[in-house]
Amino acid sequence: MNYTIKTKLMRVFIYIILAILFLLCVVPIWILLVNATRSTPEIQQGLSLVPSNNLFVNWKNLTNRGFNIWRGFYNSAFISVAVTVLTVYFSMMFAYAIHVYDFASKKFLYGFIILLVMVPTQVAIIGFYKYMSLLNLLNSYIPLIVPAIAAPSSIFFAIQYLESTIVKELIEAARIDGCSELTIFHKIMLPIAKPGAVTMGIFAFVGSWNNFFTPFVLISKMQKYTLPMLVQTLRGDVYRTEYGSIYLGLAVSIVPILIVYILFSRYIVNGIAMGSVKE
Amino acid sequence: MKKLISLLMAAFMLMSLFAGCSNKSAETNNNTQSNEPKVLRIWSFTDEVKTMAVAFQGKHPDIKVEYTMIPMTNGEYQTKIKSALQAGEGPDVIALEASFVREFIESDYLEDLSDLLPLAQQLKTYQFTIDMATHDGIVKAFSYQATPGAYFYRRSLAKKYFGTDDPEKIQEIVGDMKKFEQAAKVIKEKSKGNTYMVASIGDFTNLFFANRQQPWVVDGKLVIDPKVDELFEVAKSFRQNGYEAQANQWQEGWFAGMNDSLVDAKGNPKQVFSYILPTWGLPYVLMPNSAPKEVKVEGSDKTKTVGKNTAGDWACINGPMPYQWGGTWVAAVKGTKNLDLAKEFVKFVALDEENLKNWALGTYTNEYLKKIDPTIGDKLSQGPGDFVSSQKVVEEIASQFDNAETSKFLAGQNSYKSFAEAAPNISLKLLQGTDDAIQRALNDPLNNYAAGKATKEQALKQFKEAVKNALPELIVE
Amino acid sequence: MANTKINKNYYGYIFTAPFIIGFLLFSLYPLVYTFYLSFTNMTMMSKAYKLIGFENFKKLFDDRFFIQSLLNTWKIWLLNFIPQIGIAMLLAVWFTSTRLKIKFVGFWRTIFYLPNILMPATIAVLFFNFFSFYGPVNQAAVRLGIINDAIEYFRHSGWTVSIVAFIQWWMWFGSTLIILMAGMTSISPSFYESAMVDGANSWQMFRKITLPLLRPVLVYVLVTSLVGGMQMFDIPYMLTDGRGSPNGSIMTMNILMYMKFSSSKGHIGAAASVGVMIFIVTCLSALLIVKLLSEKDSKNNAKAVKGEVKGYELHN
Repeated sequence: MNYTIKTKLMRVFIYIILAILFLLCVVPIWILLVNATRSTPEIQQGLSLVPSNNLFVNWKNLTNRGFNIWRGFYNSAFISVAVTVLTVYFSMMFAYAIHVYDFASKKFLYGFIILLVMVPTQVAIIGFYKYMSLLNLLNSYIPLIVPAIAAPSSIFFAIQYLESTIVKELIEAARIDGCSELTIFHKIMLPIAKPGAVTMGIFAFVGSWNNFFTPFVLISKMQKYTLPMLVQTLRGDVYRTEYGSIYLGLAVSIVPILIVYILFSRYIVNGIAMGSVKE
Repeated sequence: MKKLISLLMAAFMLMSLFAGCSNKSAETNNNTQSNEPKVLRIWSFTDEVKTMAVAFQGKHPDIKVEYTMIPMTNGEYQTKIKSALQAGEGPDVIALEASFVREFIESDYLEDLSDLLPLAQQLKTYQFTIDMATHDGIVKAFSYQATPGAYFYRRSLAKKYFGTDDPEKIQEIVGDMKKFEQAAKVIKEKSKGNTYMVASIGDFTNLFFANRQQPWVVDGKLVIDPKVDELFEVAKSFRQNGYEAQANQWQEGWFAGMNDSLVDAKGNPKQVFSYILPTWGLPYVLMPNSAPKEVKVEGSDKTKTVGKNTAGDWACINGPMPYQWGGTWVAAVKGTKNLDLAKEFVKFVALDEENLKNWALGTYTNEYLKKIDPTIGDKLSQGPGDFVSSQKVVEEIASQFDNAETSKFLAGQNSYKSFAEAAPNISLKLLQGTDDAIQRALNDPLNNYAAGKATKEQALKQFKEAVKNALPELIVE
Repeated sequence: MANTKINKNYYGYIFTAPFIIGFLLFSLYPLVYTFYLSFTNMTMMSKAYKLIGFENFKKLFDDRFFIQSLLNTWKIWLLNFIPQIGIAMLLAVWFTSTRLKIKFVGFWRTIFYLPNILMPATIAVLFFNFFSFYGPVNQAAVRLGIINDAIEYFRHSGWTVSIVAFIQWWMWFGSTLIILMAGMTSISPSFYESAMVDGANSWQMFRKITLPLLRPVLVYVLVTSLVGGMQMFDIPYMLTDGRGSPNGSIMTMNILMYMKFSSSKGHIGAAASVGVMIFIVTCLSALLIVKLLSEKDSKNNAKAVKGEVKGYELHN
């Protein structure tokens, strides 16, 4: 009796905590979306959780300030899609090699990947910047995309994932059928590993989509600005502070990711678990 | 689910295909071929030069202007320009703001424009704008503005607290920094703390910088002028005594004071007596922000008005100290393939009588510009009232402002005439390339001292260390 | 049969080649080059530069900036990591508890992870507006009577550091929760059952079973969080003036590096020296943590788990 009452009280307490955390996670985002529909003076008057009717005006103000959000969208989408494709494909390839072949440096490579997960990557940005400047690639997307070939944390995930999905017998059978190794990888391995590839892809995409630092250092042409770079320009505008428009710009920058998240949240949540723990 | 993923993938693939194509076509655009229009690439930090660029296109329909605006927030524009110039990927023309123009004038990234000087002499371009852009006897940029400082105050509040709104009398009341502080005290006491002298202490930092006796750097050493010390004291007094609204320049509270919509966190209305702004502050800052705004009332369809129209309730005087603030220079980038065209543009912007008149008198309305380029949106336009760099033009047009919008805003004062008196006396001999970095380094320690979070010694130490950090080659003692 | 297998093994090199080439070109070379640049006085405003030995590093330690940025970075990281791991651990225990049977676990996890996918740039601008002097937080707090007068959050070091730490916590506690839960659910229930038989209470079970078996996962969380935390840039950069004000309180090492890079002359050499220092500090800290916390045989979880179980059984 006593025991069940204790449990019940505990449960009530836990649900209260959960509700508070829920509000902490959702309310800021909700306020952001609501403020995107309110005018600047309305926002100055105080908080509100009810949308207003100023969306269209905010949109006009936003797009009239040289804030070419579609351009930013397009740039970010282009980079992120390319990064996603490269990351998934080459990480899978590397992980496949580790699992399927016995070659001399296999052990070393695997240990090396684990080591690389612990190495700070952003610190080489100055050398990277100078190096790209010498190659005349500063305002190109190549330095933002091609390095995705070597993504240690994705490879780490891919190695964990393939462990449970690779079927050695299938590979043997395909070899007997005379398939080349590349064909086996493309035709047999990748389709089997699709769920893992989707998870990896989502992470690569979100990571690249939200990445601010590298493009911020490398890109100096406004036409080539990625979305996060454009978003941070919303912080200061020399002649006006259009708060409604600022919030709208912020809202536009997160809505696509929110939609992706709502659609794929299962993959994402399970994916984090998969990448960190060996079952 | 699977279908959705493959659909998305397909869509992205298509997108990236197009992206690939469009990038290629963009690249070929840069190599101007004989049958394509010449492209002039311009970078700036506001839309003003864009207005000029559209007007320029109206004069040269065979030219295509590619305009890029990068905001100056946290020095981003300067960093991007340096990065692009260093990589040899800079534009043809860059706009430079007063706070960092010297840095670039002293570098070897800009073309020599000395051959345009005769034009400047014809137009009697204010000498200080030319000095500012001269290094080792070479002129590298020209400005279309002259920006003597001014002091704008609210007439109704002046009547209330000083019994008069007459500009000459108010000038006596705030004529130097001591008097200014005294006036702030009077306003605070009489309004029971509901009216602030200024919106932020950032408003008067420029005054002190402009009135230093020595430059920041002498023989590679940092020099801290006594004026800096004065600034510390005044800032502290304003913060501690509540003479300022604790807003930040260019942020919402600062603007809210201009149409009386400022409320403190409890919702009590507060007012701001004055703003320390230069020539461009009137058409660009005060006027656009002086109107009331319609607001929807919570939970109903009614609207209420917030703030009130303050137009006509302002006056303009010299204020406590003479100063100048801002200004935009245009320069041609060294090594540009379109040097002649770039020079043509600089000439048009800063040394073309007709353009300067159009600029000052507000000829470049949105309609006018849309006729040239329909894609510019509804916001781009240039209202009347900007103070231009040519004394000849200024003298010709000053009287036209007697009945202009700007004068109505000031209850009949022709500010243009008073600026015209102040402009020839400006000297910018103290300015150096390192000023911007040094003055930005002062910001944080100054605020700490004003807020009582650091002693003078600690604040100065912080300042020196920040300078050393920003400018490793300086000797800081 | 065996022959074909051996013949195919050279494919291992072919399949790993793209990574190796990519790594050498885009990770290793820039890193080595950064080390080289840190010994030069290169700037962006002039083409000429020369080797100057350890001059840049000497300057770094001459003023308090680097040490301050190092301490700031650690402070902000610890301030967000300790609550992060604490709350995540608590929630993970509750969610996996068979006694409490909390409902909608999937839903809660999805919501708590939500802040992690938002753009840091967006979050920074959002919180900057929330906490501005005339912003909603002040309005709400004053009207509800929590505080008497509006606070200038971004002029108080304490507030600003707290806000940054809070944002980092807010963004990451959901992610940590999911990882810890995955770790806990992979622990075999039979351990708990036998402990129940021995009459252990839930605290003892947590101490004696959950924590030791979670160790590898905890190391993973700790190291990845540390490596990320040492490179913190986006949020503190965009929240105030990009120089870590007020009072340099949120100037992280990466911000310092960017400040050198974007200073008036664009000191590439000085910026590179900061990069080198971040690299050294981060690698040392990460190695230290791994050394201290993981067994010699952490490569194989199964073995580790077995060892733990043996240890547990011996204790009883």
